Amino acid sequence: MTSPSTGGSAGRSSNGGAAGDAGRDPRAHRGDQARQDAVDDAPDAPPPPADRPAGPPQRVRVTAPRAGSAAAPARAMTPHGADAPTSDIAGVYVRSLIRSQLRLGIVFAVGFAVATVLFVLAIAFVPQLDETFVAGVPLSWLLLGAGVYPLAITVGGLYVRAASRNEARYRSLTEDE
Amino acid sequence: MNAAIGYIAIAAVAVVSALIGFYGLRVSRTTSDFYVASRTVRPWWNASAIGGEYLSAASFLGIAGLILLTGSAALWFPIGYTAGYLMLLLFVAAPLRRSGAYTIPDFTEARLDSVWARRVTSTLVIVIGWFYIVPQLQGAALTVRITTGLPAWAGSLAVAVIVAVVVAAGGMRSITFVQAFQFWLKLTALAIPVFAILLLVGDVQPALPPVEAFPSSAGPGDLDVYRTVSLMVALLLGTLGLPHVLVRFYTNPDGIAARRTTVIVLVLLSVFYLFPTAFGFLGRTFAPDLAASGDADALVLLLPGRLIPGPLGDVLTALVIAGAFAAFLSTSSGLVVSLAGVISQDLLGGSVRGFRIAAVLSSFVPLLVALATESSGLAGSVGLVFAFTASTLCPVLLLGIWWRGLTARGAIAGMLTGAVLSGVAILGGGWVSAWLPTLRPFLEQPAAWTVPVAVLVTVLVSRGDRRGIPRGTDMFLTRLHVPETARHHGREG
Repeated sequence: MTSPSTGGSAGRSSNGGAAGDAGRDPRAHRGDQARQDAVDDAPDAPPPPADRPAGPPQRVRVTAPRAGSAAAPARAMTPHGADAPTSDIAGVYVRSLIRSQLRLGIVFAVGFAVATVLFVLAIAFVPQLDETFVAGVPLSWLLLGAGVYPLAITVGGLYVRAASRNEARYRSLTEDE
Repeated sequence: MNAAIGYIAIAAVAVVSALIGFYGLRVSRTTSDFYVASRTVRPWWNASAIGGEYLSAASFLGIAGLILLTGSAALWFPIGYTAGYLMLLLFVAAPLRRSGAYTIPDFTEARLDSVWARRVTSTLVIVIGWFYIVPQLQGAALTVRITTGLPAWAGSLAVAVIVAVVVAAGGMRSITFVQAFQFWLKLTALAIPVFAILLLVGDVQPALPPVEAFPSSAGPGDLDVYRTVSLMVALLLGTLGLPHVLVRFYTNPDGIAARRTTVIVLVLLSVFYLFPTAFGFLGRTFAPDLAASGDADALVLLLPGRLIPGPLGDVLTALVIAGAFAAFLSTSSGLVVSLAGVISQDLLGGSVRGFRIAAVLSSFVPLLVALATESSGLAGSVGLVFAFTASTLCPVLLLGIWWRGLTARGAIAGMLTGAVLSGVAILGGGWVSAWLPTLRPFLEQPAAWTVPVAVLVTVLVSRGDRRGIPRGTDMFLTRLHVPETARHHGREG
């Protein structure tokens, strides 16, 4: 992506030319969604209704992103400000975080799929389960009807802990810097 | 059935939903409230609201009906509906919350720096939303016809009007409360009748002996592998792209809370789905005649009254009718909120007034479709919407979050490919398989091949895109994946 092609059909014409500083993007004041940024959006927000009382103090006015305004790429939200090039050490850390989170998600997804397949095969290949009736329903039907959910919850709970660990590791790396 | 029960139950749900909606109106005045409920919703509330929004006519009526009709193959529907949230947790929940975008079109536009990617995404979101609302309205039509004897269209019309009014007046802040309330109503409305039937049914003679009610030819051992796998692909991945599901994640304060919320959703759904399953099993034992009558989807509505005579049966019937209506109202209003958000931002300038107009529009287009078409099984038609979603929005979402090589052209090509393939399979499938019967399963359950093709096209076109990846990709990915507390410019609260 050396030189953005001229104009282009995909809507980059508005800022396609200059290798501009994203932080000074002229559209920066428009249509951001992050609540924090929204505070800065005040000039663009409609005036508050006159009849509105002060209300809870923490309420923040946010305007909807306009159609046609690029919805604010990550500027000002990166750890080292908008001008941090990602080739430096911070970028390396971020990429390794993304890789490890993706690997984690895939491992847990595959694990869930394999466990489910094994569970179903076990039900299918034990004919006694079809012949054992509990409250008038074959055990095989009951197992398939209720057995996969505990598995999904377990996988989900373990994943949350593992993903948070990855993030904690990232945090300790960046704070050491 | 006593029609008065139906009237009372339906009116009660409508009034309660509207009251909670208008109570919420007092605290929802600014645009941000309308769109994302100020991002101050607690995980349990939020999870209940997600559950309330997600459990639709297909879950409340359709699953039990399909178990009655087809046997244990139907058990895969609730498994897929639930495990979809596992996939959401693993791949989407935290990064999407951190993206800061309100809607999927916002996400694709910000990620790909492309107005065209936004337009294609918006169009798909609107199509998906409309076709997801249609089965809700058809469920309402069925419920009204069965329980009150009124013409079926009255049910569809009633739900469309209530949803349009509540959404246009209250916005999403109130919808969060309504949705959370409706999850617990739906759970109660199925759980109490199931327990009552199990306790009281001892002296009722089963219509079929267990061996005939649960033949092993319809049992878990007799599995159509392709159809099951394809259904799972559709449900697991389709959940990722459902517009009304995604918008809920923006009401979490941060990525960690988004994950916690999702796990709670997994628990709530797992508990809920035990009860439609139980209804299906009871139906196979006590009401097999409903399968033949073509009203299998009405099983949940009819069974309590059949098995428990007298006033208790009436009360339980009123409860399931109320729960069913809660299902239609909550899913439809969740969809209308997210559709109205997309339509008003893209076409009407993003104002509150535009949102209201869009809300009315989003309610009445599906009404026309629902009135013009016949329901062919609630669980099945919702399953097809999942297949379409999995083939269109899911690849862009997953690759957008995890692959820095994605470009706008690749995303658009992938979305269009997925839309055309799965759309043709769903709409033209019956016609094609009439003269090519071997293709029938592949057209009736297309996700197993349409999703990989859409992903492949997205990747190949992105790779071949001479303009390279969008500027700011690395910064955007950083924002998606770096925990909030590690940001120097962290947001408060």
